[in-house]
Amino acid sequence: MLSEKTAARVLAAALETGGDFAEIFYEDTQTSSLQMLSARVEEAVAGRDHGAGIRVFREYGSVYVYTNDTSLEGLLTAARQAAAAIGSDRAADAVIMLAPAAIASIHPVRIPPSDVSAMRKAEILRAAYHAAKGYDPSVAQVTATYMDRHQQVTIANSEGLFVTDERTRVRLGVLAVAGDGRENQSGFNGPGGQMGFEFFDSHDPAEYGRDAARTAVTMLRADLCPAGPMTVAIESGFGGVLFHEACGHALEATSVAKGHSVFAGKLGQTIASDVVTAIDDATIPGAWGSGNIDDEGTPCRRNVLIEKGVLKSYLIDRLNGRRMGMASTGSARRQSYAFAPTSRMSNTFIDAGDSSDEDIIASIASGLYCVKMGGGSVNPLTGSFNFAVSEGYLVKNGKIDRPVRGATLIGKGEEILRRIDRVGRCVKTGQGMCGSLSGSVPADVGQPLIRISEIVVGGRQEGAQS
Amino acid sequence: MKFDDFTDRLFEGARRAGFEECEVYESKGESFRVMVFEGKVDDYKVNTSLGLSFRGMKNGRMGYAYTEVLDEDAVSMLLRSAADNAAVIESEDPQFIFAGAGKGDYKPVEAYYPALAELTPARKIELAIGMEAAALRADPRITTVGYCMLQYGDGSVRIRNSRGLDLSERSNGLFAYLEPVAEADGKREEGHAYRITHDPDGLEPEAMAREAAENALTKLGAAPVRSGSYDILLGSEAAADMLSAFSGIFSADAAQKGLSLLKGRVGETIAAPCVTLMDDPHLRDGFASAGFDAEGVPTRTKAVIDGGVLGTLLHNLKTAAKDGVASTGNAAKGSFKSPVGVSPFNFYLKPGDTPPDTLMRRMGRGLVITEVVGLHSGADEVSGDFSLMGKGFVVEEGRRGRPVDQITIAGNFFTMLKAVEAVGSDLRFGLPGTGCVGSPSLWIRELSVAGK
Repeated sequence: MLSEKTAARVLAAALETGGDFAEIFYEDTQTSSLQMLSARVEEAVAGRDHGAGIRVFREYGSVYVYTNDTSLEGLLTAARQAAAAIGSDRAADAVIMLAPAAIASIHPVRIPPSDVSAMRKAEILRAAYHAAKGYDPSVAQVTATYMDRHQQVTIANSEGLFVTDERTRVRLGVLAVAGDGRENQSGFNGPGGQMGFEFFDSHDPAEYGRDAARTAVTMLRADLCPAGPMTVAIESGFGGVLFHEACGHALEATSVAKGHSVFAGKLGQTIASDVVTAIDDATIPGAWGSGNIDDEGTPCRRNVLIEKGVLKSYLIDRLNGRRMGMASTGSARRQSYAFAPTSRMSNTFIDAGDSSDEDIIASIASGLYCVKMGGGSVNPLTGSFNFAVSEGYLVKNGKIDRPVRGATLIGKGEEILRRIDRVGRCVKTGQGMCGSLSGSVPADVGQPLIRISEIVVGGRQEGAQS
Repeated sequence: MKFDDFTDRLFEGARRAGFEECEVYESKGESFRVMVFEGKVDDYKVNTSLGLSFRGMKNGRMGYAYTEVLDEDAVSMLLRSAADNAAVIESEDPQFIFAGAGKGDYKPVEAYYPALAELTPARKIELAIGMEAAALRADPRITTVGYCMLQYGDGSVRIRNSRGLDLSERSNGLFAYLEPVAEADGKREEGHAYRITHDPDGLEPEAMAREAAENALTKLGAAPVRSGSYDILLGSEAAADMLSAFSGIFSADAAQKGLSLLKGRVGETIAAPCVTLMDDPHLRDGFASAGFDAEGVPTRTKAVIDGGVLGTLLHNLKTAAKDGVASTGNAAKGSFKSPVGVSPFNFYLKPGDTPPDTLMRRMGRGLVITEVVGLHSGADEVSGDFSLMGKGFVVEEGRRGRPVDQITIAGNFFTMLKAVEAVGSDLRFGLPGTGCVGSPSLWIRELSVAGK
């Protein structure tokens, strides 16, 4: 691992040409993954990622250099490359004093995945596979994947920070495909946590397999979704991807700092209906998007983003914080040493409200009930978002009617936040991988059942007109 | 440790550990990226990277392991992990370590351009600053530039195995992306343009800035159209993005796994007669050109769809053996860490003779869709269903009308292939990922649109 002495020398070299802040992120990661198809383990890969990234700031400018060569020589070369790029002609003599600090883990690991045999990991896949395959004769194919990742990092910076942290994550993915020879429909579940292999003591792989198959089979027999503006109810759990896309990304300093977000300059203003309180909390023990410290070494914390409709906080990293004149919120994340960190979401959810689930459905005369959502994306500048409904039902006269497939929801974040008019009582979360400038990072999304008074539903029922 | 030394030790260790055959795949590279904001360098990133993947066959089962450090520990880690992983494999599929083809079977492919490597960091920064300035100059309504990025990459791949194969190839490329923001009446819209080139003079900063600014400006005042069924002229960029999202359906691996509806359909008509889909690894100036694939098999050019008829699926050695055909030379790895899969190289719909404006005139009434958003979630390869946010223009009396946004276009890719009325002459490639996908504009009959 990286010693204090090496870190201090490398940081000093990075500041040689007048940079005003330097940081080193040193990583050693072990990964393992298995894939099962047709009841057989098809692929098994294990590996070790290793490298370091060096970052230097001068005012608002930043330089990032990374390398796999983590010898003192390799790190000094990278540091000097960074210094040359940020460089002014004036030479500076920086003396770096590091103060090692211990980090208490709030996500203890009971069974390190490296202690678990590949055979035992394959058993998890087998349970998920057979539950999905056995659900219905129309289930034609099931792919089950298992992955674990153990990341050890050391982060040091020219302000004296020197911390180490370990992050262990496990995740299962089940994709079930139902087919009738002419058409295919799929269903997916991907539970995961910042935990060891004990994750599977409390998360039954078979249950997730059966549920993925249920979605695929239901959608195979579903009609095409009608298109047009509708009242929509979105179920708890992965439904939170709505808030993640429609609002969360536009609250990241990455887009706020340069005024590129629709929510820039709106702290303290009402941006959502008063039933909306939204939180980003990286301190939930064992949750998929959690951490102890962020990827700049700042302790993770719980940030209230929106309280009863009023914008309370952005998600801020060091560099963008400089531009905004605001402190980090512990939200700097990166996929690995190959990425400079930036502000990202962790576990982001709409908090519990006071409507009952029954009342929410009963309040819809004609609309769409989305049980499962696929992924989505957003343009933070315009707030314009889109995402896919992977399991949906029509609602007629306050009652759930028949399943429909092929729906998409589109809209603008600003408008949709004001149209969330009912929020249920029970928050659930779902796991995803969120992609942005600093790579792909694990993120939880969540919410209770919510109602949106009107949103454009994209579908393709023949001759559908609003 | 150096590559040769490291692999010598690894192969020796593998023999002693009882692997029947083994192979290493090394990926090495350098990249440079600069982003500019308000005339200054805002973000600057350089890196050198090295990764090595090992695969070994034990009792006919293939185990994989990878590392980013080449030291003594890595030798034992790779051998141990690959052996553990091979032991857990239950697949009965045949596995291959390829001995190599005749020397003449490997077509020399030009993918590395030395002149490009000579652009200094200072020159690249200057180019990027010039791009941003040109965009801001293009029109008073361009108020800021969201992204102004220049990126250079240089990568090489080497495959060496216990059967004597030893191949290597190097490629480089320059990529520029510009995203200006236009403002009017309190509304903001962004536009974009990109260039990807092997020619140091190929960036055309001025032309790119004009294109990006125009793209942003024309979106101002965009509004939805009424929901209904429309004829669509899918612009070349949007069409290439869609083809890219569905490119996996042409993989024999996906078909054999029951994840593609093209299973067993080679020889059948699956598209309109005007549709010909090429995979050309030897395309001149292509950005996914290569002389050999990820298993060391020589690459070759083929029509995947020929005049509407499915000519072949894409194969690697394993999928070819299962189907009793020859590999099409399409073995691929998503990254050096991934097991061998299947992927196209320069993959494009063959253009016709008609310019898109003429197609628009012939279409008469409908929509031009220049951009589709949401492909990673709204396009399902398994079913072919898509429902995507679209941006573009209204077409009335054969002419381009007002801008359109906040609509979705929905349909099924397999149905759409058959509903292509005509292809344009404007072939354009998207950004390289696993392969590089291109398309001309496509006139599609009747897609379902949801708007107001």
